[in-house]
Order: sequence, then structure tokens, then C-alpha cells
Amino acid sequence: MYQYDDYDRRIITERAQQFRGQVTRRLSGEITEDEFKPLRLQNGLYRQLHAYMLRVAVPYGLLSSTQVRKLAHIARTYDRGYGHFTTRQNIQYNWPKLTDVPTILDELASVEMHAVQTSGNCVRNITADHFAGIARDELEDPRPYCEILRQWSTFHPEFAHLPRKFKIAVTGTPGEDRAAVRFHDIGLRIVENARGERGFEVLVGGGMGRTPIIGEVVREFLPKKHFLSYIDSILRVYNLHGRRDNKYKARIKILVAALGIDEFRRRVEEDWEASRTPELELPDAEIARVAAFFAPPAYESLPASDPTRIVLGKDRELGNWVRNNVVAHKVPGYSAVIISVKQKGTPPGDVSDTQMDAIAGLADRFSFGHLVVTHTQNLVLTDVKTSELPALHAELRRIDLGEANANKITDIITCPGLDYCDLANARSIPLSLEISERFDRIDYLNDVGDVSIKISGCINACGHHHVGNIGILGIDKRGVEFYQLMLGGSPGNDASIGKILGRALAQDEIVDAVEKVLDRYLTIRESSDERFLDTVRRVGFDPFKVAVYGSADPLEAGAE
Amino acid sequence: MFWVVTANFTEDGAVAYRRSDGTWARALAEAGLLDSEAIAKELATTATQREQREISDAYPIQIDVENGVILAQSARERIRANGPTIRVRRPD
Repeated sequence: MYQYDDYDRRIITERAQQFRGQVTRRLSGEITEDEFKPLRLQNGLYRQLHAYMLRVAVPYGLLSSTQVRKLAHIARTYDRGYGHFTTRQNIQYNWPKLTDVPTILDELASVEMHAVQTSGNCVRNITADHFAGIARDELEDPRPYCEILRQWSTFHPEFAHLPRKFKIAVTGTPGEDRAAVRFHDIGLRIVENARGERGFEVLVGGGMGRTPIIGEVVREFLPKKHFLSYIDSILRVYNLHGRRDNKYKARIKILVAALGIDEFRRRVEEDWEASRTPELELPDAEIARVAAFFAPPAYESLPASDPTRIVLGKDRELGNWVRNNVVAHKVPGYSAVIISVKQKGTPPGDVSDTQMDAIAGLADRFSFGHLVVTHTQNLVLTDVKTSELPALHAELRRIDLGEANANKITDIITCPGLDYCDLANARSIPLSLEISERFDRIDYLNDVGDVSIKISGCINACGHHHVGNIGILGIDKRGVEFYQLMLGGSPGNDASIGKILGRALAQDEIVDAVEKVLDRYLTIRESSDERFLDTVRRVGFDPFKVAVYGSADPLEAGAE
Repeated sequence: MFWVVTANFTEDGAVAYRRSDGTWARALAEAGLLDSEAIAKELATTATQREQREISDAYPIQIDVENGVILAQSARERIRANGPTIRVRRPD
């Protein structure tokens, strides 16, 4: 794991000190809210419906147990006893007082954390495959490149005021995209060219929000040494030509769509040829220096073991958990464990202070003191001895985090929605709780298989509804909450954007509609091996329209 | 039709409602009722300009009064008034 050097430590400590002064000036009335707002946003401090909200950066989702204990302490001392893990692999606190935030930033700085790049029109927290470093199908660990990007982008003066926010994701597994790179402003895939050299395929212009677009390839192969200089040029072209007159048209995806990928590429290449300097070239030694921070832990030499063979016995709950939440590891004798943060009756992504403390202890005991936040609002213990899975599961059950529902229909991505968010049109958390309650039957979950449900309370799509196999979007109809049901989205290598099934549904109709869709899938799938998404792609929407609206007729289904 | 003026407190971001005497309350029940949208807008603008140390971003909302109880009309304002509709770990 990366360790701060003196420079990192100094800039983060100084930033916290600056913010303390800014808060003092705001509270004394020396500066107005209009003057203060951009300052607080640059430190991750939003104001939501009921309180401030502080979003803390977790670079590429990686946390040490020490950091998790600090996050628990902050939740307990300065908030209401919980934190909320987000789709950007960050954590946010929903109730901090402005007067406490400078001290919270000091506390974060003491464990090499901060809240910069979690808001504002800058390069945001960089995300990565949550199985980075341990996936069997990985070509190369993407985290060193994420860290290099983090260092390059933090407080970068040229890119501190971009037309809009800018999100980058990196994956080192070409065969399976677990980082949704096609839905980022820049997506980077580590690939090999025909000569066997490693580099990056660079995608640009993807995104969700009110204009969902799948990113396009701007460069098929970028040698590693040009990694920073090429991204520098992409950002420069965007900074110069991206729209600033309309925030809804200001993301890079709008610029790429307006210019066309060929013209956008031409401009990037032109800038790159003109601006490329040796300072931005990445020598192999520098890559190796940063990569050393992500060296594998001291794995024991263990015999290969199939987790399902070890634990298949009388404990059916353990068996289901192993089947659904345990993932193959590249090192024999080890497994990765998805800790589902989708507990019954609790908002997705919410973890209490006591649970955080307990998780930190489990990370120390079972997984070399580290864990990873996923963009699906779960946690991963990446390096667990397969033989210790039963013991770990028992401990997770003790703290109500033993749900065996990873990638199942109750493993729902949900934005905070109208219960918290100032931008939302409708609530999303109550829907996810109702869905979890409705389908709280492990046999049904296993029968339906891997289906992603993603819920957003507004068109900004923080709940990634566009890429849910089943997406739900909350809308406002004259002050009343309604929901659009979408089918067919996927964030992965088979990326697709979901489409609206029919007319918007009332709050008391939407969960019934989800059940009708799933029941129809179970009756029309070709076999239990045919995934929900494949069935939708094979048969189209008509059977599902009939199930939900009683008719496939667009007028009767009320397609909008 | 009635309006009240709402904002957020600077210190903790909590929801604020303007009382009839110009001070700020944390409960909608204490809000001063206004029967003119124009006056509500003017008060909100003035409050944002002059009272920015205590509150910020004031704006008027339309409300109903039923059996003497003030009720926000929109789902958003009802949730602002009453808090999240889901359980918060530690209410405080």
C-alpha cells in the first residue's frame, strides 16, 4: 500500500490548516456562503437536505485497518455512528457539523487520508478493479498507475478548474471489466500489443448522468512511458474546448460526441506531439518504485484448494456464502471475500462505527491488514486463506455482515436519494430496502442468479441505473415520487445502456414490477445458465412489458 | 395559500425556518406563515443577504395547514422537515 512521503504529508496537512482558517472566517461572517461554497467543495464538504456531508477519498478503494479504525472513530465522535461507502469507492459522512470538519480533516491527515478531489470540477478520486492485484485473470496490477495518476492530478494547477468533474478508472484485466471503464471520462485498460508489450488502451467520453454514453477508444495502444503525457493532452483539449456555458453539456462526453471521436483524437494527438516533454515521461524505474508499494504480501506456500469442497457440509448458510461471496485468488490456498454491505433493513453501503472497528480487526486477522471498497458499495478482504473461510464467515455473521448475496438481486447499488440528497427527485433507499425484504429467500436469489439492480433518485445517476440489468430512476411528478423501470444495462466488457420499459410507476407499483420482470425471466429463460441480461437481449422487451403493464402495445405500456 | 421561508443553518447545515419575529427555528411547526409569495420571496432574499452568518440559501416554500399543523407540500420539503424516512443509526 502506498505510504505518504514528506511532500504528500505536507500538502495534506497544510490543506487541512487552510480549511480551518476558512471555516473560522465563514463562522465569523467574514466570508459569505457564496464565497465559502467553492472552498468547502474543494475539501469534499457538501451541504445536503438535513446537514453537511463530508466525502472522504479512498484512492482506488484501498484501505488499511488503521485507516478503517480512524473512519470508525470519526463516525462515532463527529457523526451519527455510521459511514456510507459510495460508488466512487469513497466513504461519506452524512451529519458532520461545520465546526468539527477541520478537526476531522486533521484526524484524516494523521492516517494519510483527505477529502480533496471528492468534489468540484477537478480530477476526482481514481477508481480501479476491486480485485486488483489478486485476480487470476489480471494482466497487471492497475493500482501503481492509479497512484501515479493521483500524485500527478492532486492540486494540478492547470486542471483545477475544468469545465466539469472528471473521472478516471483503470483496470488491469482486459478479459473482464470490473471497474466500468467504458462509463468514465477516461477509461484505461492495461493490454498487450502484438509484440507482447504492455501498455494502455485509452477510452474517452464515457459516462452516465443525464446523457449516458459508452466511451470510445481514442488510442488502441499507449506505451506506458507516455501514460501521463497522453492523459495530460486529453485533459488539455477538454479544458480548452469543453463547454462552460451549460453545466449539463460540460462533461467531456459531450465534447467527444460533438467533435466525433476522430476529430477529438486528432486534436489530442496534435497537442501531444506539441506538448510532450521529457518531464512527463514515466521511466521504468519510477513505475517500479511506485509498484513496490503494491508488492504482494507474504503469502504462505499453501496447496491449491477449492473453497466449495472445503466447506460444503451441513452448514447451508456457509455454503451459500462461499458460493456467492468468495472469489478465486491467483495464489493457491487463498481466496478473496466480498463482504456484502447490503444488510437487511440497512441502507446499502452503510456501515456502523462498531462494524468498521470489527472489520479492521478481521482485516488484521485474516487479510494482511487491508481491505478494498468496491464501486458496488461492498467491501473486499482480498487475501484470506481458504482454510479460514468458515472462521471468517462466523465472525462476519456476528457483526451482521454475513449476507450471502454478492451479485444477486438484493446486492443493490443505491444512491442516497431524497432521504439525504439535495439534488434528488425521489427516494431510493426505501426501494432497495423493500426489494431486499421482498426477495429475502436465498433459494430465489440463487435461482435468479446474477442480476444487478441499480437505483438512482435523479437523472444524475449516482446509483448507476443506466447500467443496471434492472435500473430504476426516481422522477418527480408535481411533488410526487415516481419511478422509471429500465432493462438491459451492463457496465462491463459487454457494455450497454438500459432502456425504459414503459410508463413511470408509482412508489407502490415499482417493487411489484421488479418481481413481475424477474418472474417472467424465470419462465422464459432457455436454461438456468442463461443470465437475465442475455434473456433480455435475446427476447427484447415485449414479454416484460406484458408482465408489467399487461400489454406490449407502446400506447398501453405508456412508453415515454 | 401560505408560504414559509426556509434555509439551512451555517453551523451544522440543519434545516432552518423563519419565525414571525425574524429569528430562525429548527422545526417547521415554529415557522411564521406568510400569505403572499412575493413577501416570502423578498424575506428570503433579504435573509440570504443580511443573515448569512447564521443561515444561508433561504427560499420560500408553499405549505398547507391542516388542523393547525403546518405541512410541507412537496416530498422534498416534507423530508427536509421530518428527516430521512429510513432509520438513522444514531438519531442524535
